[in-house]
Amino acid sequence: MKVDRRLFVNFDWVLLILVLLISCIGLLNLYSAGHNLTYISGKPLYIKQVYWILIGLLLMVVSASIDYHFIVRHGYVIYVISLLLLFWIFVHGNIAHGSQRWLILNGFSFQPSELMKLTIIIALTKYITENKIDDGYHIRSLIVPFVIVCVPCLLILEQPDLGTALFLFILFFSIILFTGVSRKTFILFATSSVLMIPLCWFLIKNYQRERILTFLNPERDPLGSGYHIIQSIIAVGSGGIWGKGFLQGTQTQLKFLPEQQTDFVFSVLAEEWGFSGAVILMFLFLALILWGFKIARNSKDMSGTLISFGVTMFVFWGVFINMGMVLGILPVVGIPLPFLSYGGSSMVILMTGIGLLMNVSMRRFMLQP
Amino acid sequence: MRERNNKLTQYDPGEFRRKLGALTWLVFFAFALLAFRMWYLQVVKGETLSQRSKNNRIRLQEIKPLRGLILDARGKILVDNQPSFDISIIPEAAKDVESIIKKLAYVCDESNVKFFRDFSSLKDRKPFVPVKLQRNISRDKLAVVETNSLDLPGVVIDIIPVRKYIYGEMMSHILGYVGEISDIEISRDLYGQYRSGDITGKLGVEKQMDKYLKGESGGEQIEVNVNGRKLDVLGRVEPVSGYKVMLTIDAELQKICWEAFQKKAGAIIVMNPRDGSILAMVSKPSFDPNLFNRGISNENWEKLLNNSLCPMQNKAISGQYPPGSTYKSVVAAAALEEGLITPDTKFYCDGTYRLGNRTYRCWKKHGHGEISLHRAIVESCDVYFYNVGKLAGVDKLAEYSKGFGFGKNTGIQFPGEKGGLVPSKEWKLDKRKEPWQMGETISLSIGQGFVLLTPLQLIRAYCALANGGSLYKPWLIQKITTEKGQLIKEFFPEVQSFIPVSKRNIEILNNALWGAVNEPHGTGGALRRKERDVCGKTGTAQVVGMPQDEGNPDMKKVSYKYRDHALFVCFAPYKDPDVAVIVVVEHGGHGGSAAAPIARKIIDGFFELQDKRNGSQSCEAKGKTHISHNVATEKFGLESLERR
Repeated sequence: MKVDRRLFVNFDWVLLILVLLISCIGLLNLYSAGHNLTYISGKPLYIKQVYWILIGLLLMVVSASIDYHFIVRHGYVIYVISLLLLFWIFVHGNIAHGSQRWLILNGFSFQPSELMKLTIIIALTKYITENKIDDGYHIRSLIVPFVIVCVPCLLILEQPDLGTALFLFILFFSIILFTGVSRKTFILFATSSVLMIPLCWFLIKNYQRERILTFLNPERDPLGSGYHIIQSIIAVGSGGIWGKGFLQGTQTQLKFLPEQQTDFVFSVLAEEWGFSGAVILMFLFLALILWGFKIARNSKDMSGTLISFGVTMFVFWGVFINMGMVLGILPVVGIPLPFLSYGGSSMVILMTGIGLLMNVSMRRFMLQP
Repeated sequence: MRERNNKLTQYDPGEFRRKLGALTWLVFFAFALLAFRMWYLQVVKGETLSQRSKNNRIRLQEIKPLRGLILDARGKILVDNQPSFDISIIPEAAKDVESIIKKLAYVCDESNVKFFRDFSSLKDRKPFVPVKLQRNISRDKLAVVETNSLDLPGVVIDIIPVRKYIYGEMMSHILGYVGEISDIEISRDLYGQYRSGDITGKLGVEKQMDKYLKGESGGEQIEVNVNGRKLDVLGRVEPVSGYKVMLTIDAELQKICWEAFQKKAGAIIVMNPRDGSILAMVSKPSFDPNLFNRGISNENWEKLLNNSLCPMQNKAISGQYPPGSTYKSVVAAAALEEGLITPDTKFYCDGTYRLGNRTYRCWKKHGHGEISLHRAIVESCDVYFYNVGKLAGVDKLAEYSKGFGFGKNTGIQFPGEKGGLVPSKEWKLDKRKEPWQMGETISLSIGQGFVLLTPLQLIRAYCALANGGSLYKPWLIQKITTEKGQLIKEFFPEVQSFIPVSKRNIEILNNALWGAVNEPHGTGGALRRKERDVCGKTGTAQVVGMPQDEGNPDMKKVSYKYRDHALFVCFAPYKDPDVAVIVVVEHGGHGGSAAAPIARKIIDGFFELQDKRNGSQSCEAKGKTHISHNVATEKFGLESLERR
């Protein structure tokens, strides 16, 4: 492949700097979150996270270098590979915390469901660019994308990982609605999702039902399922405006916070850096998302727009759902906070996704004469 | 190239741009929502939540003070503190509580386990606070729990200091016992000095001196982690140990009294006639105050309550007895002072005394013949005193009785004292609604009938005779010092009044009391030591009115509760007495045979101790006990662990 000089000229420094800044905040925060933990084996998590960031950056370079048209063209291949991985853990998965999510390869554990989030974006982009309909999608033309998202969702629900499955659906709807649907379809979507709610209530597992009840009233079981959310709210609130200071968060350092390195990592930041710190982080995320929208807008073709929009929404929903959960306005679902939660798969996949954004961003002038 | 251009022209980003514009607003809105929520939690509710985070991690722990020690007059420790061990479980840290309870099954009682289960399953229980499983476990069980502590997550051992009454039963009525404060005591606590769960004195010195002994609680602000484990001490207020209370009691003498009394029921008081301080005080039967330390078992409590010999009563200050012949000194004093008799006044005793159609007997069946005051006291002639009593009349006897401090509390700083009873015409009319009978004066003149005295009142009166007339307020608390020995409060002898008897008459009486012990046919012959230095008076108090005509029945044939009380009261040496002793043996029979031998042992023991102490340098011994006591308090934790 010929490397075009213009790729460097148009390199998206803003995107890279934003991502690096957020990742650094994440590292610092992770250092604090893991500060008082004793490690039975291996290195502290923030060191591991550095490795994951480096691997992620490497993959970012790779995914930025390969022309995204090439990637989209092979979207179904990527999708099938991801699906096979999911299926693989469905058969021989590694169980942790009562669910099968991890694939262990030479000591590296990997969550194919994280990969699926990105793969879905690519596969849907491929379908939509190849089946463009001017006046929006009808039900019949949505069958294929629906199947594309449903198959992995079912496998992920079996793990069980309700959060990720829901996340895939949210991405799916975001992209489809962004592309445009006919009015009839939109109404159908709306009514069927309302009707689905009671049905879901009976389909989900007991602990998931508990979580939702707890979300509605955390104090109903303060020592049991409400514990996480109560402790998280205490941590966030006790941070006040200026926070308790780095490594000074009592909720964090004394381990009152559950899952403080993964799903609840934001409460560590909010406790130690307060409202001011949390708002700064939110501004960085906002900037990243708006920058992603800008890339989508400036893309010279539809696949670029869709792929960059998808990745941006991936970040947005991750931030919104995770923060909403930590702040107690959304139920507890296992969605990590992008770039901050500890987790190799999530970090690597996000970096790869950012690579795709860069890819689109760098090639926005490529088709100009 | 054309194809490409085609595609380019086909792509119309306009629609997407419009949507992206709208989405930008949506994203702004979403972030605003998050920021608003964050503002609400961190700024609006920041203060409350910050407090909650402190409550999460900061726990206030009361540090109970060590209760003050109680020492005898020579600095010997009478009550110490020793550790007792409780087991608690933090349910959150234990994870599998049931399996831990199973592992601890041999350590705890079934009822406690049930209580624990009920409590730990309460929804509104404070998380991570230990729940008590079993109190007061034995040391071998403690050792097992400690060695297996790794298999028992969440199990906590609390060390709680409890009282150790070194002399056990021997001093229980003096020292008393302690227990958890009752609701009634809290409601009476006007100054808010007590809180529920506090340990307070329930009897004796522990009760009387509670405000000095209890000390002040300290507190510790500790930071805990999610498992309730103590991480750091944020602040600490040291508890102030209770003050040391030093008594006038002599532990060695107390032991002598205790042993002399053997298995009988009754009371002994040994008093210093020079100042009214109590050197020893025994009440029998007794109880073990150590039983009350961690709450007495129902079984033991029932046993104490149902015992007809009333082990919980301090008979020395609250037992009320007819004084019997020991009262004759008062009758004689009244008659002498009023000029009704002189030492030479004689009456004839043929063994009986007739009043109207009733006959009153002398204890000696065939009488004493013609007898003067001195011999009448020495041989305790009843008929002589019937005559004297009749001359004096009940109201004069009452007046002099009150002069000797009878009929009202002596004012000793000690709980539970009784006042006794001094009858008079007015009293009888008032209380019994009947006029006084002359025959009752006759009974009164030998200390029978209505009159009731406590052993404390009686010995105090005799001490007044011994010291030349001063009626001291009895006392047994000498001083109160801080743990380090700084003086807080000191008590001094206090003369309440003087007995209304002239020095000359006191001399006459004392001479007769000396004779009662040392002269031939003296009733107190049991006290006749080779030094011939004891003055004393026997007393035999009838419990029920024995038919006077039948003479003196053989006491061994009478059922226990109708037997006479035996009394003996004495002081020594005759000139300038050092010690006074009263022995009351309930239902013991004759004073001379039942009570006097006990008094003899005590008097002998007292002078032996005095000789021994004068021999070895007493000041040195005093210094030593002070030091060893300080060491004992400082090393409380370690030393008492070794002690068993």
